[in-house]
Amino acid sequence: MTDRALSGLRVVDCSQGIAGPYATKLLADSGADVLKVEPPHGDYSRRLGPFPGDRPDPEASGLYLHLNTSKRGMTLDVSVPSGQVILKKLLATADVFVSGERTSTLRAWGLAYDDLKPAFPDLILAQVSPFGATGPYADYDGNSLTAMAMSTIMYNTGEPDREPLVTGGEPGEYLAGVQLWVGILAALANRARNGGGDHVDVSMAEAAAAADEYNAAMYGFQGAIRRRYFSRHIFGYPNDIMACADGHVVVIPGASGFPSPLAPDTISPMALLLEDIELDKDPMFQQMGERMVRWQDFEALIAPYLSTHSAAEIVMTAQALRLPFAYVPTAADLLADEHLAERAFFERVPAPAGGELTIPGAPFRMSETPLHVAPAPKRGAANAPVLLDELGYDKSDLTVLSDQGVI
Amino acid sequence: MNGAQLPLDGIRVVDLAQVFAGPACTRILADLGADVIRFESAGRMDVTRNLIITDNDGMDHHWHRASYFIVRNAGKREMVLDLAKEEGRDVIRKLVARADVVVESFTPRVMANFGLGYDQLREIKPDIIMCSLSGYGQTGPMRDFGAYGMGLEPASGISSITGYPGGPPIRSGLSFTDPYSGFIGAGAVLTALHYRRRTGKGQYIDLSEQEAAIPIMAAALLEQQMTGRTPQRLGDRSAWAAPQGCYRCAGDDRWAVISVSDDAGFARMAQAMAHPEWAADPRFATVLARREHHDELDARITEWTSTRDHYDVFHTLQAAGVKAAPVLDGKEVLFDEQFRARHHFDVVDQPLLGKRPVQRHLAAKFTRFEARARGHAPLLGEHNEEVLRELGYDDAAISRLKEDAVIADAPSLPVPAQFIAMALKLPYDRYLQHGILQAIDADYREQLGIAE
Repeated sequence: MTDRALSGLRVVDCSQGIAGPYATKLLADSGADVLKVEPPHGDYSRRLGPFPGDRPDPEASGLYLHLNTSKRGMTLDVSVPSGQVILKKLLATADVFVSGERTSTLRAWGLAYDDLKPAFPDLILAQVSPFGATGPYADYDGNSLTAMAMSTIMYNTGEPDREPLVTGGEPGEYLAGVQLWVGILAALANRARNGGGDHVDVSMAEAAAAADEYNAAMYGFQGAIRRRYFSRHIFGYPNDIMACADGHVVVIPGASGFPSPLAPDTISPMALLLEDIELDKDPMFQQMGERMVRWQDFEALIAPYLSTHSAAEIVMTAQALRLPFAYVPTAADLLADEHLAERAFFERVPAPAGGELTIPGAPFRMSETPLHVAPAPKRGAANAPVLLDELGYDKSDLTVLSDQGVI
Repeated sequence: MNGAQLPLDGIRVVDLAQVFAGPACTRILADLGADVIRFESAGRMDVTRNLIITDNDGMDHHWHRASYFIVRNAGKREMVLDLAKEEGRDVIRKLVARADVVVESFTPRVMANFGLGYDQLREIKPDIIMCSLSGYGQTGPMRDFGAYGMGLEPASGISSITGYPGGPPIRSGLSFTDPYSGFIGAGAVLTALHYRRRTGKGQYIDLSEQEAAIPIMAAALLEQQMTGRTPQRLGDRSAWAAPQGCYRCAGDDRWAVISVSDDAGFARMAQAMAHPEWAADPRFATVLARREHHDELDARITEWTSTRDHYDVFHTLQAAGVKAAPVLDGKEVLFDEQFRARHHFDVVDQPLLGKRPVQRHLAAKFTRFEARARGHAPLLGEHNEEVLRELGYDDAAISRLKEDAVIADAPSLPVPAQFIAMALKLPYDRYLQHGILQAIDADYREQLGIAE
């Protein structure tokens, strides 16, 4: 077998849903041996779908298939003592133990860091929870929505007179998953350099708040509190999604799109795009603050151009003028996208019901150790190999454990 | 834990990244103990040195007072170096020879044009790890596209599933895929360092911000394939939970989110809102029924939330085992007791500005070390001489580099600095009138406890 980035790293993963499994997917796709330990009724992402033809099937949930590539899978009820005994045998040979439970639950199961550290001093316990393992909200429950609410990003997303909007696609979960993954790698680096295991404690709310671009900074450096205003940035309008002839584009003038006092004798790229050099004299072209407060006037000024051109025409012309405009693709557009196709971004995995599924590829490319995707495991597929071959149980034990509902 | 050993002690990072994603990546590496040396040029400063100027006062030296820059460059060292000059590139080469990691965020080919591409750097340092962060990646027809964060979230597809039902696609109120790809960059570098520890081999990492964010679209991409439906914008609702939404609370523009994914949770919510009978009402008894009567349910929930403080809603529902959270603004996040208890904000002592809060970029907490900001953000060219001396340059050589404008500690601007500083002063009085700003607290430093 070829040497992969994380070959030899052994991970036992009891997390469910999105955040924890995404972290361990990134480890598994990089070559770590990730043993996914599901409760006997399965990871709850198996119930989230989407499903082929909308028919629920725990082996065909799209989210599960995406989030659990390259892992081995076994079932084990770690909430009961007999399951905990087996889990601890697995932890004896593991480098990393991943959990998505809150601390009170881990403590009840005897799996909190303080419980594990004496027996497993070199083990890294990586825990992702809605608000973190410590602090006054440690026992509170949450998800991507609560994380985005705490992050400040949601407060500034949407229209001023309507409710704040959460960003689609459960980004709070993915932010937490990525932060957990980085935290695990940091703890591994520390173990290699300075020795010893660790408790990596990631709060979904903090992971989302770490992505705050400048809301907290505006208060901490200016005392200013931004309000929700069509999701617009404080330092520049439009930088926003606008309708065009066949859909939407992101209109981004960039640092040098409008007339610049640094280049007084040139025609601005925005005026060139709109084919009217007189626009450079307009106060809305000359001053950002003017555009910001008179945005309806600006919209009226740009609408005739946008509404008569396609997204492709607008973006290509703008990019030629060094204006960093962008497309607003849908899921279907992405699947058919030429740029992504030329980069061979998407991966194809066998669909449980036959055929293939297209899933997102690696979020980064490594020249020596490219990430590689193998299909997600069926529920309990590794029960026998792990219990018989690795832990030395015999077949009758398996029957007993199965009858007791432990596996 | 002061003085504790850190995971990346002894790792040196040459940081040629600008703006947001790259600096978020190297901020994490710096917090983990790496010696991160960033580079700017006098003619083209990092544009974020123009953003969110302290007190929005139009004062000079704005490049030392830009909070946007400070937040994500805390704890790094910096040189201002002219890469268009051979002597400038020579400094980079000497540094790379002693470095472990190079991070850059130019558009593709710029580094190679400087003679600083991966193949060239590998000749100087065979086990170097180089990470290029770009909008659309190093290959493909869109590789040369100019890319800003506000365009990359839509480009990843996420905006197509963000918005009010029936309304247009909407961007997030902040460009979160920028830091998201920066965080991924940090993990990619740590993965490469792990491999190098085992094998001694370096490598090149091509990180496209568009691609990095597409996995967030996975459920939508699979729905498209499995059902033939293009996923719709659901506002704050969910295919997996009902009720789920953002509910008005007492006060001006205060809100709380609530998410209930099962019937037992709904019964607990109904009880907490003093309406246990809702749980038995056939219109609300199952998740499908609740989804069907969501508007009606929302009206009832709002009746309860709208007379209560958003934190009261949060604590009351959480005590009952219901997922909820207050929707925080930029002030509240600094005062929230959970963020405070877990030190999400470090206070750095910033030259010219005094004590200032900067948020953690690695949200993970550890028992053996703290991934915290290691110090203030560098002034422009603050470490020019310090780094050059470490590379063996003597006084005469450093003076020559200064005279030849290879290094600098001030920007070269075509118009007086004061003029630009005034242009960067935003019309906050008008923003207050239009509701773009909610308030400006003159005594914010006293409130934060960071007054001098």
